[in-house]
Amino acid sequence: MRLLKLAVPALGSLALAASPLLAQEHAAVSETAKPGLLTVDGGLMFWTLIVFALIFGVLAKFVFPQILGAVQAREAALLKAIEEAKADRDAAAKLLAEHQAKIEAARGEAQKFIAEGRATAESMKADMLEETRKQQQELLERARRDIESEKVAAIAELRREAVGLAIAAAGKVIEKNLDDAQNKKLVEGYLAGMQ
Amino acid sequence: MKKIRIHTLLAGLVFAIAFTAGGSLGAQDQKAEAKQEAAKPAEAEAKKDYIMPHVLNGRELLLPSFGHGLEREIELPQWAPIHIGKYTIDLSPTKHVVMLWIAGGLCLLVMLIAGRGAKAAHDAGRPTTGLAAAIEATVLYLRNDVILPNVGHHGERYVPYCLSAFFMILFCNLLGLFPYMATATGNISVTATLAILSFLMIEIAGMRALGAGYINTIVWWPHDLPLAVKLPVTLIMTPVELLGKFTKPFALAMRLFANMTAGHIAVLALIGMVFTFAQLLSYSPASYIAALIPVAMSTAIMALEVFVAFLQSFIFMLLTAVFIGQIRESHH
Repeated sequence: MRLLKLAVPALGSLALAASPLLAQEHAAVSETAKPGLLTVDGGLMFWTLIVFALIFGVLAKFVFPQILGAVQAREAALLKAIEEAKADRDAAAKLLAEHQAKIEAARGEAQKFIAEGRATAESMKADMLEETRKQQQELLERARRDIESEKVAAIAELRREAVGLAIAAAGKVIEKNLDDAQNKKLVEGYLAGMQ
Repeated sequence: MKKIRIHTLLAGLVFAIAFTAGGSLGAQDQKAEAKQEAAKPAEAEAKKDYIMPHVLNGRELLLPSFGHGLEREIELPQWAPIHIGKYTIDLSPTKHVVMLWIAGGLCLLVMLIAGRGAKAAHDAGRPTTGLAAAIEATVLYLRNDVILPNVGHHGERYVPYCLSAFFMILFCNLLGLFPYMATATGNISVTATLAILSFLMIEIAGMRALGAGYINTIVWWPHDLPLAVKLPVTLIMTPVELLGKFTKPFALAMRLFANMTAGHIAVLALIGMVFTFAQLLSYSPASYIAALIPVAMSTAIMALEVFVAFLQSFIFMLLTAVFIGQIRESHH
C-alpha cells in the first residue's frame, strides 16, 4: 500500500513532467482562477457522469435491443437448433440401439425356430422311416404268411389231386387183380412214406 | 497512390522546416525592427495565447458571427456552487459541459434514429439502409468481433457498457472537429470519469466472475510454490498487482485526453504559422503563397484527426473489453 502511495504520484508527476505546462499548472491551482491542462473539475466530472448515464440508459434500453434484437434472436434460434439436433441425435442413437437389440432378439428367435423345425423334421423323418419299415415288415410278413398258407393249401390240394390221380391210375392198373381196399392201403402207405 | 501521397507530405514537411528556419532568421530582424519602433501593443498581440484557451475549458462559448470577425463569445451563466460536507462542487455550465450536452444529445438522436430504422427494416424483413445500416454494421462488428471475443464467454452483459462508451467518446471526439466547437474528451476530467467507470466495470466483472477468488487479483498467492518462496514473492507482487489495477484506467484517461488535446494543438499551431509567415513577410503577396503550406499541413492533420477520433474511441472500448476479459480469465 505504501509503495502504491508513492508510485501513483510518481507516475502522475512523470506524466506531468512531460508537459511544459507544469509550472503554469501549479500557478493556476494556487490562484484557482485559471484552469490548467490537468486541472480536475468536479462539476465537469459530475456532468460527464450524468451524460454517460443518460446515453448508457437510453442506448441499452431503446437502441441496442432494436439493432441487436434480430442477431440475438438468430443466435438464440441457432443455439436452440443445436440443442434440438443434439437431443434428436441422442434419441436416434437410442432408437437404433433398441432396434438393433430387437433385431438381435428376432434373429435368436428365428435360429431357435429353425433349430426346432430341423429337430422336429429330423424326428418326423425317423418316425416315418420307422413306420415305413414296420409296415414293410408287416407286409412282408403277411406276404410270407400268405405264401406259406397258399403253399400249404396248394400242397394239400396237390396231395389230394395226386391221391385222387394216383388212385384213379392205380385203380385202373390194379382193377383187375386186386381188391380195392387192400390196394388203396398199400398206395397210401407208400405216399406217406414219400412225404 | 499511397507512395505519392507520402512523398507530397514529406515535401510539405521539408518546405515547412525550411520556412520555419528562414522565419526564425527573419524573426530576429523583425524583433530588432519592432524594438526600434517600440510597438508594444503589437508585441502583446503577437504573444497572445490562441492555442491554450481553445483547448482548455472556459466559461465562454464561441458562436458564429457575421459582423466583425467570424466569431463572437458569449458568457455562460454561473450557478451558485453546491456544498456537500466540506467539498464544494460547481455545476454551472462551462464550455466542455455544453459540448458534452451537445455531443450527448447528438449521440442519442443519431442512435435513436438508427435504432428505429434498424427495427423497422428487421420487422419488414428487408436489409437496413443508410444511417441505420452504418450504425448497425458498426455495432455488430464491435459486438461480434471486438467485445465478445475479448470479454470471453457469456460476455453479453458487458456489451452495452462498451458500446455506450464507444459512441459517447466518438461523438465528443467528432464534435470537437467542427468549427466553433470544442472537444470534451480533450479534458482530463471527462476522460478520468470515463476511465473510473471502466475501472469499476472491470473490477465488478472480476468480482462476478471470480467470486472469492477476486482477492487473488490483488494478493498474489501462487499455490504451487513452497512457503519460503511464496512469502517474499507475494510481498513483491502484491503492490505490483495493485499498481497494475490503477495503471490501466490511468492510461485509459491519459491516452484519450492526450490524443485529443495534441491533435488540436497541432492543428492550431499549424494555422498559427499562417499568421507568423504573414508577419515575417510583412503581409506581402508572397505571404499568401507561404500560407498554403501550413494550410495544407493542417488539412492533412485534420484528416488524421478524423481517423484519430474513431481510433481513440475504439481503443478506449477495446482496452476496456480486453481488461474485463483479462480479469475474468485470471484464475491463479
